[in-house]
Amino acid sequence: MKRFLALYAGAAYLFLYAPLFVLGVFSFNASKIAAWRGFTCNWYAKVFHDPALLDGTMNSLTIALVATIVSTIIGTLAGYALWKKRLPWLTNSLYLSLLTPEIVTGISLLAFFEWAFHFLHVQLGMHTVILAHISFSLAYVVIVILARLRTLDPALEEAALDLGANEWEVFRRITVPLLLPGIIAAALLCFTVSFDDYVITSLVAGVNSETLPMIIYAMARKGVSPEVNALSVMITMGLGVFILVAGRLEQRA
Amino acid sequence: MNRRIFLMSVAGAALGCTRGHKQRLNVYNWENYVASSTIPDFEREFDCRVRYATYGSAEEMLAKVMSGNSGWDVIFPSNSFVQPMHELDLLAQLDHKRLTNLSNLDARFEHPAWDPPLEWCVPYMHSATGIVYSKSVSRRPLAWADLWTDSYQRRVTMLDDPAEVFAACLRRLDQSINSGDPRALKQARDLAIQQKPLLRAYLNEEVRDQVVAGDVLAAQMWAQVAQVAMDNSANLAFSFPEEGFALYADNICILRESKHRELAYEFVNYLLRPNVAAAIAIDMRTATANGAARATLPRTQRENTILYPAPEVLARGEWFAPLPGPAQRLRDRYWTEIKSA
Amino acid sequence: MKHLRAAFLAPGVAVMAILFFAPLLIVLAYSLLTRGAYGGVVPPWTGESYARVFDPLYGEILYRSVWIAGVSTALCLALGFPLALYIARAARHKGLLLNLVMLPFWTSFLIRTYAWMFLLRDTGLINSMLLSLHVIREPLPLLFNTGAVILGLVYGYLPFMVLPLYATLEKLDPYLLDAAADLGAAPFVTVWRVVVPLAKPGMVAGCLLVFIPCLGAYLTPDLMGGGKTVMAGNLVQNQFTTARDWPFGAAVSLVLMVLVLVVTRALMRRTEELL
Repeated sequence: MKRFLALYAGAAYLFLYAPLFVLGVFSFNASKIAAWRGFTCNWYAKVFHDPALLDGTMNSLTIALVATIVSTIIGTLAGYALWKKRLPWLTNSLYLSLLTPEIVTGISLLAFFEWAFHFLHVQLGMHTVILAHISFSLAYVVIVILARLRTLDPALEEAALDLGANEWEVFRRITVPLLLPGIIAAALLCFTVSFDDYVITSLVAGVNSETLPMIIYAMARKGVSPEVNALSVMITMGLGVFILVAGRLEQRA
Repeated sequence: MNRRIFLMSVAGAALGCTRGHKQRLNVYNWENYVASSTIPDFEREFDCRVRYATYGSAEEMLAKVMSGNSGWDVIFPSNSFVQPMHELDLLAQLDHKRLTNLSNLDARFEHPAWDPPLEWCVPYMHSATGIVYSKSVSRRPLAWADLWTDSYQRRVTMLDDPAEVFAACLRRLDQSINSGDPRALKQARDLAIQQKPLLRAYLNEEVRDQVVAGDVLAAQMWAQVAQVAMDNSANLAFSFPEEGFALYADNICILRESKHRELAYEFVNYLLRPNVAAAIAIDMRTATANGAARATLPRTQRENTILYPAPEVLARGEWFAPLPGPAQRLRDRYWTEIKSA
Repeated sequence: MKHLRAAFLAPGVAVMAILFFAPLLIVLAYSLLTRGAYGGVVPPWTGESYARVFDPLYGEILYRSVWIAGVSTALCLALGFPLALYIARAARHKGLLLNLVMLPFWTSFLIRTYAWMFLLRDTGLINSMLLSLHVIREPLPLLFNTGAVILGLVYGYLPFMVLPLYATLEKLDPYLLDAAADLGAAPFVTVWRVVVPLAKPGMVAGCLLVFIPCLGAYLTPDLMGGGKTVMAGNLVQNQFTTARDWPFGAAVSLVLMVLVLVVTRALMRRTEELL
């Protein structure tokens, strides 16, 4: 059984990483076209001389980080409250938000922001992108958190309450630690959907909030440059190293 | 820089715009439409900061600027968008006195069909739709009709764009590419459905690499993209189909909402300088609407017949125009039928 | 308890009210207005867009989308479940293994799709390898068909299945499995009888998180499928872009949303009221 699972998981990882190998190879390709024309490191050097690409990466990371933190917190709290007592209208509306096609979310948020900003004299920018990302990632968080909560035993909380702890303490000391794998999974999901979102972001972004996906989609009009492949490889490597280090620290702690 | 802007905009959300010491200009353009030196040189010369961003589709740009409070100053709509944007009251009327370099425009673009007095726009780049094909094919696709034959082993693609596919079909029927006549549109739909089994796919620029690799033998393609493919493979050629083909041009416009009108004029005028326009055309392998700039280009590019087709070829071309509402709706319905067929 | 629950709910409700319901009302208004000549909406109010939605052509598109999304979801579950189980039961490095699932997804979706197109095309890596090994004589048609669309969807949404599954499987008591084994249950029987029922909340959540975005996907059918079929996502996307028919786009998406909501809720009620 164990060996079967390990083999299966290995195959699944191979499937997940197959396109990344292609990217890795083409980031060293001398030609702009996806056909091998010799080895070069130029694209990596070029990334660092492309302020738009670097700015976009920074913007994307900032947006994804802020949106992930905010919606994970809000979503975890809401999920916990929904676990305690069902609120069909809220769960249904969370579903609906998940069901909304991206372009519809984008257009409607754009219309809403523009209507609201008419009175506030504000323009679109990073803040609107972050708000939009929080709104569409909330449903993901709640669904994952609820799935985790359903595996927990409510008796545990009741026991703690009987022993005289107050509700907040029970939540913080008992439930949150038990929920942690769910919270981490939800945060990862959030970060992923936020970091890669194009349709909604491009519609609510303003003058100073161009994100990496926006740059990449605009570039794609003329065929994606290996520069983008090089950047993707660096982001993957960078985040990969970060994950390794974080994992080490976690184990030591 | 960006994080500062971000922090300021979050902290002072009610204040909104950030004011640096330098004047700012916000330019929203298609990707790959300026040379690497264009923006830095302008910033240096006029002592300002340019916020330059790119969009991937005209609709994305239009949805953003439609509110009149987008923050952008200079944008680059395609020819068929200029009139609609003017009707939506989004564009600033251009003061020709401030555009001293306007005379550099090619004669072909001094009075373009979409804005003859150049009241709202200045033509910037232009291209056309044709067929890029492998020289190894037995039958060179010189007409759209060739793409309806089985000479290419089903290794043919059309653009994934209703306007372009209908343009090709309508030209085969000897109709205008902008025809809104229900009967013509219906016949065009039938032609497209008839062609579908012969097609490998409907793809836009993504097909470029497959044309170079030899997966696809003939593809409906924009001349600019085809040029890049041909630069990468000696085995490719391009044709402007005999029945006629679509022409398009992108234009520089100043938005009515622009709060940096002075600087915007300087920028437009700067882009019209022959040396600036030429640098862009060389860097990006695009066809400039700037006649004075074209004259300074290296001979191979100046006389490139794909970027700059000969007048007798151009005579077969037709500019895209905005389609009236009912015709657009009908065409889209037919497009859905073609895709579902 | 009441106060704490109210405080916990407040931010979520506020976000939903301002950033979901208010825009949703705008969508509703759009669907009842008339199409602007160049996109956008203009008066007068009309129900015309809804009258146009109920058309066999669009029913067929919906049917095809549900079918493709359903197959993709089933494959995601088949692929994701053992993977999630493996990660959840790993003795060490759980976090690392989970992160490794997510890592590829921090590269742009578009770029990864282009990479797949390179792998699958006639002159691509897979066909070239098979050809040079003389396994095949003609390149296999791997790209631009429904199979390629499903592959793209499974690839694109696999983590949406793995994460909720992991979140529930992680809770699984290892002793439970050992106990089942001690009682003589075969491994697969253990998984089927013991693990699957416990992982049900995660499976339902995962299936929702995969099925719903699959229905709305538009880039995968366009690129992997070569734009030869339309899915519901393409239909909506096109109305807001090339067709410039916002009221119709709004109407189509609202009808689609309500339809899917009602059906999934009904199905879930039957399986056991989850969420």
